Amino acid sequence: MTHPILRRLAAVPPAYWVFALLLLTLWIARPNMLNPNVLGIFVRQVVPLGILVLGQLLVMRVRSIDLSGGGVILLINYIITSRTFPEASGLTFIAMALAIGGTVGLLNGYMIAKRRVSAVIVTLAVSIILVGLVQFLSSGKPPGDVPKYMNEIFDIKYGPLPLPVLFWLGCTGLVWLVMQHSVYGRYVEAVGESAEAASFSGVPVERTVVMAHVLAGLIAAVAALVQTGSIAVGSVRVGLDLPILAVAATILGGVVFGRGEGGVWGPFFGVLSFALLFVVMTVFGIDEAGKLIAQGLIILMAAILYGARAKRG
Amino acid sequence: MSDGEPACLIEMQSISKAFGPSRVLRDVSLRLRPGSVHALMGENGAGKSTLMKILAGVHRCDEGRILKNGKPLHLPSPREALAAGISTVFQELSLLPNLTIAENMFLGRELLMRGGSLDRKRMRAETAAALAELDLKLDPDQLVSTLSIAERQFVEIAHGIKADASVLILDEPTAALNAADVEVLNRSIRRLRAEGRAIVYISHRMDEIFSICDEVTVLKDGQFVGTRAIADVTPDGLIAMMVGRELADLFPARSANLGKPVLELSGFRATPKASAFDLTLHQGEILGLAGLEGQGQQRIMRALIGRHAPAGGTLRLHGQALKFPSAAGGIRAMARRGLGFVPEDRKEEGLMLGLSVAANLVIGLHAEKPAFAPARSLKGVVQRMTDALRIKTASSATPVASLSGGSQQKVLLGRYLAREVKVLVIEEPTRGVDIGAKSEIYTLLRDFAQAGGAVLITSRETVELIGLCDRLAVVHGDTVVVELPAAEATEHSILAAALTAEGVAA
Repeated sequence: MTHPILRRLAAVPPAYWVFALLLLTLWIARPNMLNPNVLGIFVRQVVPLGILVLGQLLVMRVRSIDLSGGGVILLINYIITSRTFPEASGLTFIAMALAIGGTVGLLNGYMIAKRRVSAVIVTLAVSIILVGLVQFLSSGKPPGDVPKYMNEIFDIKYGPLPLPVLFWLGCTGLVWLVMQHSVYGRYVEAVGESAEAASFSGVPVERTVVMAHVLAGLIAAVAALVQTGSIAVGSVRVGLDLPILAVAATILGGVVFGRGEGGVWGPFFGVLSFALLFVVMTVFGIDEAGKLIAQGLIILMAAILYGARAKRG
Repeated sequence: MSDGEPACLIEMQSISKAFGPSRVLRDVSLRLRPGSVHALMGENGAGKSTLMKILAGVHRCDEGRILKNGKPLHLPSPREALAAGISTVFQELSLLPNLTIAENMFLGRELLMRGGSLDRKRMRAETAAALAELDLKLDPDQLVSTLSIAERQFVEIAHGIKADASVLILDEPTAALNAADVEVLNRSIRRLRAEGRAIVYISHRMDEIFSICDEVTVLKDGQFVGTRAIADVTPDGLIAMMVGRELADLFPARSANLGKPVLELSGFRATPKASAFDLTLHQGEILGLAGLEGQGQQRIMRALIGRHAPAGGTLRLHGQALKFPSAAGGIRAMARRGLGFVPEDRKEEGLMLGLSVAANLVIGLHAEKPAFAPARSLKGVVQRMTDALRIKTASSATPVASLSGGSQQKVLLGRYLAREVKVLVIEEPTRGVDIGAKSEIYTLLRDFAQAGGAVLITSRETVELIGLCDRLAVVHGDTVVVELPAAEATEHSILAAALTAEGVAA
C-alpha cells in the first residue's frame, strides 16, 4: 500500500467498487436488464433511502448518528394515510411533515449536544416512542389509502428518468453545495475532526451538532413524503429498516464518524449499490427472505469496514 | 573501548535511527555506570525519548549496538529489555483509571494461585510493599481514578521499579509533581542509586538535574554533544550545550516602552476558593504567568478566555468594562472581542490534524461568519500567513498532521494572527518545537507586540518565560502572588517568590 496509485485506489470509497462490481455482474449475466427504463424503476425504489442518507451522513460527520428516521417516516406516513386530517391539502401535509421532522431533530440534537446523552440511545429511543405512538393511534389496524395525487407525482417520468430520482439528485446536489461551499460545511468539517480544537477556534460546536440533527430530521421528513408517495396503502411497518440501511450506505460511501472522505456522492453510490443489488437478486430469482439476508450481510460488512477504517485513522 | 575506565553497566555505541526519511539519531553513544544517576538532556525533539525507547526495546536501532557488562544485548521487544533488567517509566501516564492500584501493577502479569484463579492477596501485599518503598501510604485496592495526578505518577514509578531491574529509565518523572513530591522521589532515587543501579533521568528542570544527577549527556538534533560530570558544568553552560548558541541570541530584545493598558483584571478569582488579584496587560507587552507547575496558571488563562466562568472579578478590555461571558459560548464571545487563545495541547485542543494547513488557518475567520453564509476560499489569507510565518509545507492542502512540530505551532498561531486579534493568550508557545522554530516564534510574538498587540503566556520552561517576557506574574494557589520585571528574574527568584507566598498563606 505504499505506491501512490495503490494508496489512491485504497482511498476510493467502497461504494464505488461495489457499484461497479454489481454493474459488471448484471452486464455479464443479463445485459438486457441494463435498460434505462428498467433501471429507472429500481432506482426509484431506493429514493427514500437515498434522501434519508443525506441526513445520516451529515450527523455522522459531526460524530453523531440518527436512528430515529424510521419513527419519523412511520408517523408521517400514518398521519397522511389515516385520514385523521381529511381536509388537509398537500401543502399542509408537507408543513406537518417538516414540523414533525424538525421537532424530532431538535430534540435529538438538544439531548446529544447539550445533555451529552449517547446518540444511539437517544435516537433509537425516540424512534421506539414514535413507533409506539403510531401503534397507539392506529390500535394496530392498518391505516387507509395514500392520496392519489401523491402516487401520481411519484409516477411522473421525463423520458426514462423518474421524477423522484431527479428530486433525489437535486437534494444531493443541494447538500453537496452546503457542505462544500458554506461556512456551515466548514463547521461540520472542523467539529468532525476535533470538537475540542473547533471550540477553541471559536466554532459554535454545540450549535453545529444541534443543527446537523435538525437538518437530519427535516431530511427524514422529506424522505417520509417520498416514501408515502411510493406506496398505495398506508402501513404500520413502513420505513422501519431504512435508518440502519442508511447507516450502512453512508459507511459504504466512505463516511466514517467524523470523516467525510466519501463526501456526499460516496453515500449516493452506496444507495445506488443497494438498488442494483435488488436488481441482481431479482434477476437471479432470490426471494424476499434471501434479500433480507443479503441486506443484513451488507450492513455487517459496513460495520466491519467501519472498524477497519476507524483503526487505520 | 571501556578498558581502564570504571566498568559500565550499559553501553550504547554509535546508535543511529531513522523514521522514514527523517534521521532522529546519528551516531549517539551513552554509557551508564552502576550506582549513578545519569541525566539525559536536550531540547524537545533532540532524540532523548527515541534513544531511551531503543534501550527499552520499543524501537530498534538501525546502526550501532548495546552492551551490557561488555556483552552485546539484543532487544527486539520490551519483553527482552525487561528480562535484561532494564525497566522504564515513560512520561505518558499509562495507568487504567477504572482498575485498582494493585490491578494496574500486575496488569498482564497477574499472579495466579494453583488452579488458575487470581492470587489477589499476594498481589495486594506486593503492591503495598512497592508503594511503601516510595513512602506512599496508598491502599492497593484504591481505584486509580480516585488518585491525584502526582499519586498516579508515583504509582507509575512504583510500577516501573521492578525489584530485579538494574537499569531504570525515568522519562520526565516530575512533570506532574510539586516540590515536596519531587523531594520524596529524589529520596527514592538516591536509595536506588545506593543499591548500585544505573538510573537515566530525563528532565527539563535544571535544579533537579543539579541536585540529583552525577553525570549528564546532552543531545542536540539527534546528535551527541557531550557527556560531562555534573560537578564540571554550570546551568548556563548546560543550556549553551543544548541550544548550541548563547541563550541571549535566542530571544529578541524586550520592549522599550509600553503602551496603554489593553486588558485589566481586577478582583479576579479563577476559582471560588482562590484569593482575588489584579493584573494589567499593556499594549506592546509580553506578560508571563510563572510559578510552580499546576498552580493555576492554566485555570486563570482559561477563565480569562471564556472556557470556564471565573468565580469573580471584572474585566476591562481597551478601557471598556465587560461582563465575563458564561461558560457556554464564552470562547466565541471573547474571540469576537479580539482575544485569541492558543491552547497547550496542540494535537488535541489546537489543530484539526486530519485537515489541511489552509483549513486550519482560516477556520477562525469562518467562525466569525453566520453558518449559512457562503464560505470564501480565503486563498490570499492562507498565502499571506504561510509566507509571513514561514510555514514549511509542500502545499496549503497538505494535512497539518504531516508537518513538523514547529510548523504546526506556526499554523496554530497563524489562525489567530489571520483574525487580527489584539490580544494573544498562549499556553506553552513552543512546546515540542525545535530550536530554530522556537527562535522564530519568539520573534513573531515580539513583532506582534511591537505592532500594538499584547501577549499573555504560560510556560513550563522558566528559561523561556524569563527570556521572552517583559514582565512576570508569579502564580501560586490560583492567584498572582507577586509581579516582577523579567529582566531581573531568575529561576531561583521565581521559585522563592512562589514558596514565600505559600509560607505567608499557611
